[in-house]
Formats: sequence, C-alpha cells, structure tokens
Amino acid sequence: MAAEPIAPLRGLRNLAILLAIWEVVGRLDLVAGGALPGITEILLRLWEDRGDYPRHVWATLAASGAGFVIGNFVAVAAGVLFALSPVALRLFRGVNIAVFALPPIAIAPILVLTLSGMAPRIVLAALGVYFVTMTATVIGLSQADSRATDLIRAYGGNRRDELRLVLFRGAMPSILAGLRVAAPNAVLGAILAEFGGGGRWGLGAYLLGSLGRGEPDRLWGIGLVATLIAGLSYGAFALLSRRVAGATRAVTLNSAIPDVSVQAGGPALRVALAGGTIALPFVLWWAFIRLTGVPDLIAKTPWGVVDYLFLAHTAETAQARLFAALAETLPITVLGMFAGLGFAFALAVSSRLAPRAIEAFMPVALITQTMPLVALTPLLVLILGRGPSLTLWVTISVTFFPAFVTLAQGLALVPRSAEDLPRAYGAGRWREIGMVTIPASLPYLFAATRLTVPRALLGVMIAEWLATGRGLGNLLNQSRGYLDYGMIWTVAAVSVLLSVVFYQAVVIVERRVLRRMGMATAE
Amino acid sequence: MTAPDGIALSGVCKTFTGRGRVVEALRDVTLSCPQGSFTAIIGPSGCGKSTAMRIAMGLEAPDAGTVRIAGRAPLDAARAGLTGIAFQDAALLPWRSVRRNVEVPLEVLRRPLAASADHVGHLIDLVGLTGFENALPGELSGGMRQRVAIARALVTHPQVLFMDEPFGALDQILRRQMNLELQRIWAESGSTALLVTHGIDEAVFLADSVVIMHAGPGRIVERIDIPFERPRQPHLFSDPLFHETCDRIAEALHGG
Ligand SMILES: Nc1ncnc2c1ncn2[C@@H]1O[C@H](COP(=O)(O)OP(=O)(O)OP(=O)(O)O)[C@@H](O)[C@H]1O
Ligand SMILES: [Mg+2]
Repeated sequence: MAAEPIAPLRGLRNLAILLAIWEVVGRLDLVAGGALPGITEILLRLWEDRGDYPRHVWATLAASGAGFVIGNFVAVAAGVLFALSPVALRLFRGVNIAVFALPPIAIAPILVLTLSGMAPRIVLAALGVYFVTMTATVIGLSQADSRATDLIRAYGGNRRDELRLVLFRGAMPSILAGLRVAAPNAVLGAILAEFGGGGRWGLGAYLLGSLGRGEPDRLWGIGLVATLIAGLSYGAFALLSRRVAGATRAVTLNSAIPDVSVQAGGPALRVALAGGTIALPFVLWWAFIRLTGVPDLIAKTPWGVVDYLFLAHTAETAQARLFAALAETLPITVLGMFAGLGFAFALAVSSRLAPRAIEAFMPVALITQTMPLVALTPLLVLILGRGPSLTLWVTISVTFFPAFVTLAQGLALVPRSAEDLPRAYGAGRWREIGMVTIPASLPYLFAATRLTVPRALLGVMIAEWLATGRGLGNLLNQSRGYLDYGMIWTVAAVSVLLSVVFYQAVVIVERRVLRRMGMATAE
Repeated sequence: MTAPDGIALSGVCKTFTGRGRVVEALRDVTLSCPQGSFTAIIGPSGCGKSTAMRIAMGLEAPDAGTVRIAGRAPLDAARAGLTGIAFQDAALLPWRSVRRNVEVPLEVLRRPLAASADHVGHLIDLVGLTGFENALPGELSGGMRQRVAIARALVTHPQVLFMDEPFGALDQILRRQMNLELQRIWAESGSTALLVTHGIDEAVFLADSVVIMHAGPGRIVERIDIPFERPRQPHLFSDPLFHETCDRIAEALHGG
C-alpha cells in the first residue's frame, strides 16, 4: 500500500514511462523504418523550425478563437430559445442533427467556394462548437431545480424572471463544461478548413505543405503543437469552470440531441413540425447560398444538386462516380466503426476486472480526445503507409478512444452495491459481469455509437483525402482540382445525409432496445 | 360587507396522470380560512397536502373547483405581493448568500432592495442567523436553511402565509422556539396562515383550526377547532387539555 503513489502521481509516472519507451523506440527507428522519431528528435526539429511556427499558430488561433466566440454566442442564444420554446426545439431538430453529424471535411470545400478569406475557417470552427454548447445550454437550463423555479412562480414571476434569477446561473456549470469540450473542437474545425482552403498560413496549411516531404519529425512536431493548443484550450476552460462553478463533469461529448414531445396542438401541428424539421436544413442551405450571392455555377442549391445528380446530361457519369466512391467508403466506415466500438466495449468491460491497468491507459485516451484528428492522420500514414489498412486504423482509432472514454465513465457510475449483490450470492467475476456490468453498460454503448458515427465517416474521409486516394474523401479532393462544383456539393450533401441517416438509425434501435429493457438513454 | 376569506378553496379536484399511473391527489376539497386565522393541515404522507397548497399558491391548476386568495385569483394575489411562501424543502438558490436569498421575493416583485435592507436584517436576526448573512446555503445546516426560508417567506410583509412543513428539519427544541416566534410574527402581522405539518402538537399549539386529510383519494375528513386562548405560552405543551386534543386528532388521523 505505502509504496503505491496516489492517483495523479501514478498518472505522471505512467506518462514518464510512456515517454521513455517512445524515446527508445524512436531513436532505434523500430517503427516503420523511422516513421516514429524519438521525442528529443521531434523537439529538436521543433526548435529548428521555430521561425515558421508563430505565423501558422497565430493564424490557427485567430480563426479558432473567432469561431469559438461566434459559435458559442449563437449556441447559447439557440439553447435559451430551445429551452423556452419546445416548438422551436422540435423545428430545429433536423438542423441540430445535421450540425452534429456533418463531417467537417465534407463541407470545408463548399465553405471555401462560397466564403472568402478567414471566413471558412471561422465558420467551421463555429460549427464545431455550436452543437456541444447548445446541448449543454439546453440541458443546463432544463435541469434547473424545480423547487427554485416554483418559488419564483409562486411570487408571480414570469419565465423571464425564472431565467434571470434561477435558470441562467443554474446552467452555468453545464455551459462551462460544454465550452471545455467545445474548445478543442474549434481548433479542429479551423485546421480542417485550412486544410481544404489552400491558404498560406495555419497549422493545417503547414501540415499539408509538409506532407509530401517525408520528414516525420516535422509532421510529429506539427501534430504535437496542434494537440498542445487543443489540450491547453481544454485545460483553460476546465480551470475556469472549476473556479466559477466548482464543478467537474465528464469530458465526453453529449451526443443525445435534445428533444421534446410537443403534446399540445394536435396531430396537424405535429405533422407540420415534422415536415418543418426535415425542410429547415434545406431552407437554410438555400438561404445561405442566396445570401452569399455566389453564382449558381459555383454554389449549388439543394435543387442544383438534384439537377446535377439526376437530370443533367452528365448525371449518369456523376452517379457512377458517386456510387463507386460510396462502395469504397461505406464498408470500411462500418467495419472500422464496429471494430473500434468492439475494442472499446471489450476493454471497458474488462476494466472492471483490472481497474489499475485501465487507469494507466486513461490519460492516453483523454489526450487523444483533444488531439485534432487531422494531425493524427498524417502520422498514421507514416507508420502504416497509404493502403486500405490505414483507413481502417484511422477509423478504429477515432472511434475507439471516445467510445472507450464514454463506456468507462458510464460503467464507473454503476453502483458498487449492484455488483456486490451477485457476488454476495457467490457468483464469480465473469458471472457478475454478465449479470450486471454488460446490461448496465448498454445505454453507454449506444451513447458511444451515436458519438462515433460522424467521427467514423470523418476519419475515413480524411484518410481517403490525404492518403489513400479512394472513396468519397478522394472524390471530394479530386473534384476540387477539376473545378467540378456539382460533385463537390453532391459529396458534401451525401456525406452529411449519410451521417444523419446512420445517426437516426442508431437512435431508433437504441430507443427500441432500451425501452424493452426498461432503461433510460444515457447522455 | 365582510372581508373576503384569506384562503378559500371550494370543490377542488386534482388528478395526476403520469406514466400510466393515475393518482387522484385531491377529491372535492373545500377549505376556507377566515382572514387573520391560522389553519393547520395534517395527514399521512402522500395524501395531497402539498398539492392542495400548490394549488392555493397558483403553481398548479385544479381540474375542478375554484380558489381565491384574499378575494383574488392566486397568481394575481402573488403578483400583488400579498403572499409569503415557505416550501417543504428550503429551495434556496445555492449561489446566493443568506441575505440575497431572503431578498429573492423582493427581486421577483421588483421592489427596491435598499428600502428593505433594515427589514431583511431584522428578519435574519429573528430567525437567529445573525453573522451568517454572507454564508452560502451549502455552508449551513439543514435547520439553518429552513430558517432562511422562513425569513424569506416573511420578507414581503405577506397578508397570506403558506408554509409547507417549514420546520421539518429542525430539532425539537428549536422547533418549539420557532413555533413561539411564528405565533408572535403571525399575531403581529394579522396575516392568514396555512401550515402543513406532520407534528400534531405543533398543529394544536399554533392553529385556530386543524384540518385532517386522508389519502386515496386525498380528501378532508375532519376539521377540529382549537379553543386555547392566545397568546399561547410554552406551558400549554404540558396542559392535559392540550394532550386530549392531540389524542383526538391522532384518532381522527388513524381512524376512518
Ligand atoms: N407532479 C405530480 N405528478 C404526478 N403525481 C403527483 C405529482 N405531485 C404529486 N403527485 C402525487 O399526488 C399525491 C399527493 O402528493 P403530495 O405531494 O400532495 O403529498 P403530501 O401530502 O404533501 O405528502 P408529504 O407529507 O409526503 O409531503 C401523491 O400520491 C403523489 O405521488
Ligand atoms: Mg408534501
């Protein structure tokens, strides 16, 4: 007992061991002929490149900072609106799901087509934070202590008084926790847009420029800096929320789209709302194009995409190319996602058997949560080459870590007494896991699946774009080169649509299964 | 013309339907509390006491029946600042100090805080929390929190005072003390008071009239007038007549 250091120290010790192993492995060029340099080599290279970094870092920081502020402003305003008006929440459900599920890389090119300068980066960063903060706001506001709001109402206060005196302050911890998760998302969004945008400055541009040069130490350096920025932004808000709210909450993203059932108003209203929910994203798309005033040739409205894909004289070849790409992308997405989820599930469940081992692994899992996906992919390219196995591994790694964190944190909530019961009757460890741990983890498994659906598609598309030259990601990249605007918009629309459909499918299965088991959806 | 009753419920019914379960919380509840009277409601857990009170406060709409508070609709009375409220659990805002919690009703009613500063200080003193003005609820004991809630209920100089088990978390000695204080405050203010309690002796000590409720469906089964003269002194608690009355109420609670 006495020899075991306390948890934070043990984390540090594990980190030190990890770094030492990394250094040795890197120095000896054990991984893929030097694709993984030693830590000190990376640091030395960082020092050599020190003249390049400030402008790149500054560009990324400026874009993600602006996007963070704007996105959160919109998100909090929307959250307040949704918390006050169930009808609005219902109406915007489609938009909210689309924003959650859209793979940023798919819409980066269309933002670059329609906006100019820093705007695409800012918008993508803002989109990255919107969902997290909006959800946190709605949840925070609707979880307000009903006794406190009763008090306000009992003195004749209206909804505004409730908001002013109780709700907003009460939602603060939740909103701050949201900002914490949102901050790295803004960095990721900005880098992704830099990537598809062809600007000169920014870490994404730097990464792209360094990709072909076969200099692992530089790529790792950029990856580390990007991770550091994302991690620091997370840490800053973690500190702030600890200060302000004294609250610590899960690091995982809430992937349940807030929803309500609108009872009043009868079936007519309900049908109208359902129709509106589906129509609104397309209306916004259309309005966005009209407002930016970009010519029809470049910016396609929803109708423009339908025309391109089904009516124009080139429709047949367009369809053929799209389907060929889908046939490459979809199987590997599904396969990678299930493999990642499966690993995560197995590891999380067995973590009940060996809590210590998992605890050592947790910091790594948390770091990868904040590590910008785009920075990860080139590193995996170095190690794995450009074949399909790369895509698979990217997908597994982007699904595995968040799923594992969600599951492990969910399982930690299972009361010990629930597990003690079978044991008290003499059940063995495995029996106990079968009776308690696995059923109890189901809601979290679904939550993890919802979370990983969009990430899996994003991971595959990034790998395809950057490395393998196959599938949807490649089609998108190629179409940029050919100025095939119709295809750019089509791929963007189709990938968002796919993501939404996947997500909805998971939600429906989840509802069925959990209802049958009498369990509630995990957030 | 006589003054309207402080609190008047007539023929109030309330049924809750939740997740396939239907609970008839109140059936045909009629209750009138003359202005300036003190009424206590007593009954087993879940018989609808809190529901009756929430309906009287306008927080819940009855399925049938009417409610008048000082002659007005409940929420109108609330907006006019006629009511004072202490809930079953203190319902303090955790991020506000004791003082700022007591001021909440004033803020809702948009009354100037500066004008009431002395009164607020006086109330905090009255409930024995001097020195804790700037403490947060999290730093107080359960009983202290309830005393804050009582101070808060009195801050608007209410004409009608609703109290739902306000002394639930207090120890016996403090409870007696608070009972005496409450009697004094109530007598001074001339307000109409409605108190929900589980303590028979507390009800008998404080009330002019004790209303007994039964569950399933929630209804009023008996109303017993308490004749002791006011102001009532602590030694009343050991009066044989007092105990006799308590026994009668206990019987009415268990019987039927
Ligand atoms: N919002 C609600 N939804 C559904 N049922 C409710 C609701 N509020 C109260 N009930 C039900 O109405 C009945 C009366 O509840 P109420 O809170 O009025 O009881 P009570 O007499 O105050 O009990 P206690 O002494 O425990 O406070 C209970 O059966 C309760 O389950
Ligand atoms: Mg009650």
